[in-house]
Amino acid sequence: MEPSSVAVGCERVTHEYGTGSTVSRTVTALRDVSFEVATGEVVGLVGPSGSGKSTALHIIGGLLEPNNGTVDVLGTDLTALSGAKRTRLRRDHIGFVFQQFHLLPALSARDNVALPLIERGVSRRERQRRAAELLEQVGLDDRMDHLPSELSGGEQQRVAIARALVADPEVVLADEPTGELDTGTGARVLELLVDVADERTVLIATHDERAMAVTDRVLRLLDGEMRQAGQFSDEQ
Amino acid sequence: MRQLLTKMHAVARLTLRQVRHERGRTVFVVLSIALAVLAVTLLASVGLGVLQTGEERFDRAGQDVWITADGVELTETGGIENPITDSHRLAADLERRDDVKTASPLAFHGVYVGTGPDDLELVTGLGVPNTHGDLSLESGDGFSEGDSHYANGTYDGPMSHEILIDPQTADRFDVDVGDTLYVGASRSSATEREFEVVGISDAYSQFLGTSTVTMPLSELQTVTGTTGTDRATYVTVTTAADADRAAVSDALQQSYPEYDVRTSEEQFKSLLSEYLLVLASGATLVVLALIAGIALTVNTLVLMAIQQRKELAALRAIGLSRGFLAGIVGGQGLILGLIGGLLGLLATPAFAFGLDHVAARVVGFEGLLRTPPEVYVGGLVIAVGIGTLGAIVAGWRVARDARVDTLHV
Repeated sequence: MEPSSVAVGCERVTHEYGTGSTVSRTVTALRDVSFEVATGEVVGLVGPSGSGKSTALHIIGGLLEPNNGTVDVLGTDLTALSGAKRTRLRRDHIGFVFQQFHLLPALSARDNVALPLIERGVSRRERQRRAAELLEQVGLDDRMDHLPSELSGGEQQRVAIARALVADPEVVLADEPTGELDTGTGARVLELLVDVADERTVLIATHDERAMAVTDRVLRLLDGEMRQAGQFSDEQ
Repeated sequence: MRQLLTKMHAVARLTLRQVRHERGRTVFVVLSIALAVLAVTLLASVGLGVLQTGEERFDRAGQDVWITADGVELTETGGIENPITDSHRLAADLERRDDVKTASPLAFHGVYVGTGPDDLELVTGLGVPNTHGDLSLESGDGFSEGDSHYANGTYDGPMSHEILIDPQTADRFDVDVGDTLYVGASRSSATEREFEVVGISDAYSQFLGTSTVTMPLSELQTVTGTTGTDRATYVTVTTAADADRAAVSDALQQSYPEYDVRTSEEQFKSLLSEYLLVLASGATLVVLALIAGIALTVNTLVLMAIQQRKELAALRAIGLSRGFLAGIVGGQGLILGLIGGLLGLLATPAFAFGLDHVAARVVGFEGLLRTPPEVYVGGLVIAVGIGTLGAIVAGWRVARDARVDTLHV
């Protein structure tokens, strides 16, 4: 991957849902959206439900292909990659945190965190060691062998953060990471995410504007269009 | 190579964890597959049993060549048309040949049987020249006189008034050896003739697949009023010790072109061809059972994969490949298919035994359900092979469709 001062760049990105032949009605989730995120920057993608922020995040993560526009991640044009190559890029360079955690209920916290390392061919012993290290960083060293059902919502999201970071990605994408948590727990989880992410580039999609205190900059989406951008402090 | 092994090990561990964790789902899937396998093995057993049972009955009859005329069909009175006339003379002619050891005319006719005027039932009456030497009797000694009433075609020899019955008839009328039954061609004439039960055997009823009473041929002909033409359905032939049955059959056909002469194998096939519709229905059932078994197995495993779509979508989002996810779902298919399949196969003998008893009571054939190794292999192939393949395909497709909207549901 080529070094770049711009970690993520979207240029006139448009995405519509329901463009398949069997669906007569289409919904424009993103319309001509352009923005850049610098390496090491923590950016909030803010907007009400349905504004297109999750779609933008999933396009950047290579989970969705935009109908129009280009998406550049770490110097690579995602729109020019095959599905398998996008999966590989996501595996090697991007960490995901979801609103609903999406931990495997059958696996312990440590095994959940270790999951992204499997496809890299890392040995089980090494996977376990690195997962334990990450869980220590998020303060769950005494909960490593617990199943997700034995953890609180905040603890599950901390496991998800550890999972997003275990493969040492350059970019972390968090989709409504506080959506399932109470305000206090949500704020602590965000602080932890930014803290543990260290120098990584972080994009956080959320409709909870109070949680944006941890970001360097805010991108505001409304009805699929970029409305304004600026420092979080500018919006107070 | 080492990386591949690491991945495969991880897939195996994940698969086992999933199976162990979701116990309710595991039990449901295992039971569904077991039922699918059971349906396949039992129906296949019936299909195979029909063919094997029929062949064995012919083999057990111990006859090498069957002679009849035109088509042999069921009559409205429950008997079978008796197309051969002057059957005793024909049998005597045949026995004079060097390549023939014995020749026996057999006649079928519907007769009323019962213990009293108000307790008569129409069953198949079979006329035979004598009790066959190798006939297995549950009780009694069989005919004492044989076909003495024939008396060289005069039908004025003494009637033995002896009858062999099958166990079902014995149960139905609550009679045993030494008891008396009325037998006649009509309800009114039945009470005029009493026959003593001299043996109980299921040999003839098993052969015909229906309740059967057996008496000396000439006495059946007298009871049914067919002495004038000496009618029979078949003349069965056992060949001489050193004779080839096919060659004897060909020779007899040349000597008696007015009759249809067949070896026992040909006769069996001929009978089967007359029941093509039944056979086609049986074959259709077996094919449908296979399709239904495959569909049920695959459908169950697809449902299992769909149930895990959120988890699979999340795994895909964190960078795990479709192949890896298909491996997890396929692995579950393999394990659950194996357990469900073995459970279905283990249950097969018990269910086959039970169904066989039901079939014996309903249609009169015992051993109708056969479970040769091929049936078990077929069941296991469907459960494990098709199941695993179906699960892999389902996992692959679910992984492909595991997208953002799945994660937000």
